[in-house]
Amino acid sequence: MEVDVKMTEVKSYSKLGEALAKGDFILTGELEPEKTCDLSHTIEEAKQIAPYVIAANVTDSPLGIVTINSMAATHLIQKATGLECVWQMTVRDVNKLGIAGMIMGAQALGIHNILSLTGDHTALGDMAESKPVFDLDSATLIKLVREMVDKGSINGYEIEDPPKLHVGGAANPNSEPMGPEILKIGRKAEAGCEFIQTQVVYDIDRTIEFLTGIRKYKVPILLGIFPMKSYGIAKGFDTFVPGVSVPKEILAKWKSVKKDVTDKKQKKELYDQYNYELFKPFVSELRKKNLIDGIHCMAVHYPRIFPKLKDIIGA
Amino acid sequence: MVVITTKKPEEEVFEALNNFKVKNVLVVSCGVCAALCQTGGSEGAEEWSAKLKERGFNVTNAIVSDDVCDNRVMKKDLRVIDEDVKKSDAILTLACGLGVQSIITVLSKTHPKIPVFTANNTEFIGETERIGRFYMRCQGCGQCLLNETGGICPITTCAKALMNGPCGGMVDGKCEVGNYEKDCGWVLIYNRLKELGRLDLFAKLRDPLDWSDIGHQREVVWR
Ligand code: SF4
Ligand code: SF4
Repeated sequence: MEVDVKMTEVKSYSKLGEALAKGDFILTGELEPEKTCDLSHTIEEAKQIAPYVIAANVTDSPLGIVTINSMAATHLIQKATGLECVWQMTVRDVNKLGIAGMIMGAQALGIHNILSLTGDHTALGDMAESKPVFDLDSATLIKLVREMVDKGSINGYEIEDPPKLHVGGAANPNSEPMGPEILKIGRKAEAGCEFIQTQVVYDIDRTIEFLTGIRKYKVPILLGIFPMKSYGIAKGFDTFVPGVSVPKEILAKWKSVKKDVTDKKQKKELYDQYNYELFKPFVSELRKKNLIDGIHCMAVHYPRIFPKLKDIIGA
Repeated sequence: MVVITTKKPEEEVFEALNNFKVKNVLVVSCGVCAALCQTGGSEGAEEWSAKLKERGFNVTNAIVSDDVCDNRVMKKDLRVIDEDVKKSDAILTLACGLGVQSIITVLSKTHPKIPVFTANNTEFIGETERIGRFYMRCQGCGQCLLNETGGICPITTCAKALMNGPCGGMVDGKCEVGNYEKDCGWVLIYNRLKELGRLDLFAKLRDPLDWSDIGHQREVVWR
């Protein structure tokens, strides 16, 4: 799983890093540990998607709803399944000093990919009384990782055995206005961002406009997609995820499956088929235009869709 | 510049006084910021005097001072009513948090045993649109960025005080915190810099604030 840096010209510390360096078109997944100390469900899901993805993200208390620590979960999932993970780290809860320590801890635990995120504000979650930290932001965390990895130092102070991690960042094509989001990606690129994962987006024109805007920064882009397992999930996603809307015709199509198909097996197959039909042309078009370098599927608890996604990326 | 205050719940104030078994109270009200916020001034002094009496306290005096937070002014004002101070077993200030501490400093030699209480909560340094509409626009970060952000403060207008916004929580120019009702500070900065023709400043990667000096007891002492 680990690549010996001294042996290779391109510095790759992980399978993901290696694939990005080679320019492979990749597929990554997402795992969302819950409010439990028992990771068996997440580990089970990790095993199911492992044959299809190069790596999977492990989320860090999304929506500010506290769950098991993402670094611990990343380590345990990797250990139990052999699936390489991308440790999601938000700057919401830990200051710069703490994060630097965690990055070294991650290295010691065999974690070699980190996704730098701002994180949803504490006020939105289930521990709203917590102090929001945000000592760093999503760009300056990237800068910190790169300093630790490339220079082997923090603030100029040498780290005896420095960490070896690849660092990525997020981008939101749904941003309205789009201008500030594009320039922000430029800052992340300047900070040393090695890959970009986008927020889920369904509008192809908007996606093209956005990706064209950030392509100049020359950072590999993984398109965020969210195949919808059922009408309920599609509707929930449309209603509850701010700034992301599922187009009406798609919702109608999913609704018809719920309404018209009674056989459970058939229902599942139809949902899977519709997802395939939705994302295949979407991904192909962006790929044809050379706007993406892979896809990041955020549909948690929907492992059975992964073989179809693998088919979409044509591997 | 105004230090914005709001009233503490009355019962909380009485509880603090009773906890110290206070009988005789001197009221010191701020005639500047707190007066503007309607948490002090002469009206506040009258209001609290009446309330205290109603609850069986003896009000030794109630004064309005122009600068409770200025040690020099406070010293002068309290010296004039020293007889009343002597008769008081507590002082209730209608000011910001600075008021309480200024009085304690001023009386530290002459009346160190008199406890000083506040009737207010101190909110922030604020800009006044009109009475009853105050907005936090500066948190005194000591490293003012306004020259580079088009004059809009990211520390206060961004809910996460980010140096490199906007974050993914921005939707249609609004912020995820507070149900998308408030403007995203970083969109305000973007629009302003765009207007000024200086989006190059927006594109700049900014380092985090340096907390080495601002993270602990701060003072400005130059003579
Ligand atoms: S950047 Fe903001 S908080 Fe800092 S001094 Fe300037 S206005 Fe105040
Ligand atoms: S939406 Fe804008 S104001 Fe709100 S936290 Fe994000 S960057 Fe800051």
